[in-house]
Amino acid sequence: MPRNKRSMVFFYGKLLRAMVLVAVVAAALAGYFALSVYILPHSYQASLVPRKAAPIVTQVSLPPRVTLGQSFAIFVNATNDGDEADVQTVSIGFPNFTGTDSIKVASHNFRQTPMLIIKGKQVGSEYVGAEKPVDAQYAIVEAMSRPWASGNSYSITLQVTPETEGRFVAFVKSIALPHNGNQAHWPQEGVLDQQKELVKVYTVDVAKA
Amino acid sequence: MNYFRQSPAQRIIGLGSRLLTGYVLVSLGILLAAGGGSWDINNHLLNKPETFFAPPHAVLYSGVALAVAGAIMLFSASRRTESKMIWPIKLAMAGVVVLVVAGPVDFMWHSAYGLDGLLSPPHFVLVSGMIASSIGSLAGMTYHNSMAFREFRLPPALIVLGILPVWLAASGMVDMFSLPFSHTGYFNFDPHPAVGVAVATLAFPLLISVLMCTSSVLAGRRFGVLTATGAAFMATSMLTSMVPNDALVPTIPFYVANIIPFAAADALLSFSRSKLSQYAAGAIMGLTFFMLYYPLITYTYNKVTTNITVWPSLIAPTYFAMIGTVVPLVAAPAVAMGILGVIASNKLVVKNKAL
Repeated sequence: MPRNKRSMVFFYGKLLRAMVLVAVVAAALAGYFALSVYILPHSYQASLVPRKAAPIVTQVSLPPRVTLGQSFAIFVNATNDGDEADVQTVSIGFPNFTGTDSIKVASHNFRQTPMLIIKGKQVGSEYVGAEKPVDAQYAIVEAMSRPWASGNSYSITLQVTPETEGRFVAFVKSIALPHNGNQAHWPQEGVLDQQKELVKVYTVDVAKA
Repeated sequence: MNYFRQSPAQRIIGLGSRLLTGYVLVSLGILLAAGGGSWDINNHLLNKPETFFAPPHAVLYSGVALAVAGAIMLFSASRRTESKMIWPIKLAMAGVVVLVVAGPVDFMWHSAYGLDGLLSPPHFVLVSGMIASSIGSLAGMTYHNSMAFREFRLPPALIVLGILPVWLAASGMVDMFSLPFSHTGYFNFDPHPAVGVAVATLAFPLLISVLMCTSSVLAGRRFGVLTATGAAFMATSMLTSMVPNDALVPTIPFYVANIIPFAAADALLSFSRSKLSQYAAGAIMGLTFFMLYYPLITYTYNKVTTNITVWPSLIAPTYFAMIGTVVPLVAAPAVAMGILGVIASNKLVVKNKAL
């Protein structure tokens, strides 16, 4: 075989190899980007169904009346009747208090330590959490489990000492986050609190000693 | 002539098993520590742990213990040689010392300030130590191999073991300066959203490209090693960032598809020696960063796109809603940084034989 013909064969062989390599790589990348940027994202957008958590406060226990100076226990138990929640909170608000000196967490089984929030501290509102912060106007105890599995129940017992006689009020609610529908909060109807969220109102008559 | 006198190469081979064991222990330790760190980030997202004594921290500090054992082995082996201690051993040991110092400081920081953010002084020191010791270990393995066998190549398993901890630790450092996870009750170390995006867009493609190109060079441009290193990174990422979050498990096939660009870049680097092929491989690797750093990268880019609260169960929908917009926007800088990574790798590894 003439020398120049051999080098021509070598050259074309190399060229063919390069062309095959480029074609294979280009096809693989075209497939990859189509799959990753368009096909799979659209498919996931359609198929990934958001979880729907459904908080329910199953029990609230507190005495109907107490004597001024006497402390009493508030027991709140809540569950999640829906899918797992990333976060579910149980909140007990005390419009009679601005501070938390008269509130003690006696016991709880939440995954995170309950927070005692005083007047002036920022809290989330309108069921979107920290996206819409507002200043608290009264004391709140907020307990949460992150995550809160489906069917799990958590409870908290507070020891509260009213500071004045008359009607002592407690606002109770439970919220699942992300909040993706009316099922994600309890109660479904009631009074709107400082955070523009529905609460159920419980009262205790505080009589003079 | 003294026929019993050992040549430097023989001496190195003689010390080889101890040194190699030391390097492997340091790399394995950092791999465990970095993997534990990645798991810890997800644990904070999912479970909001309140104490220092969380399972990911146990894995992290077990890795540190392993790295300490490796550093001690390196120190004792290097003292047996007549020559001065080489820089990779010094770097690996210095990194491990920094790691050991960072542990108690991290514990004190937790005790003083409670739940800490991703970027905190002890975390920064910890990750710096991880980067230094993993680079030292990789460089040491390469140096040892080149001295003992006159070959600037490493066995595939050592390449994967050497590169992976560097990659994970360096990614951790980039995460610190790009993810918005550093705002706590005491400090706000969150990067400005635009800065976070800029850091991620420039640093991740560069990092992928430098390390993948380096793995290919260390393998003597043999096909398969780069892909295996990429697969190992993906496996670690899946185990630490996706498997713990049930909501992300259905999206694992999307993540596994990232093996395609690694194989494509590997083929280009293995079957062609032209500069154009190398740059193309760098560009491909740079382009994959937004997919490769899923799911956590969602938080960085969400800050400048929708800026909604990304709950753990909503990471996938949020990410898939933005991917079509973000990828075309970051393509040009990612390609440029990928190519820069190839150039940097060539300068560092091939020309200077820095490793």
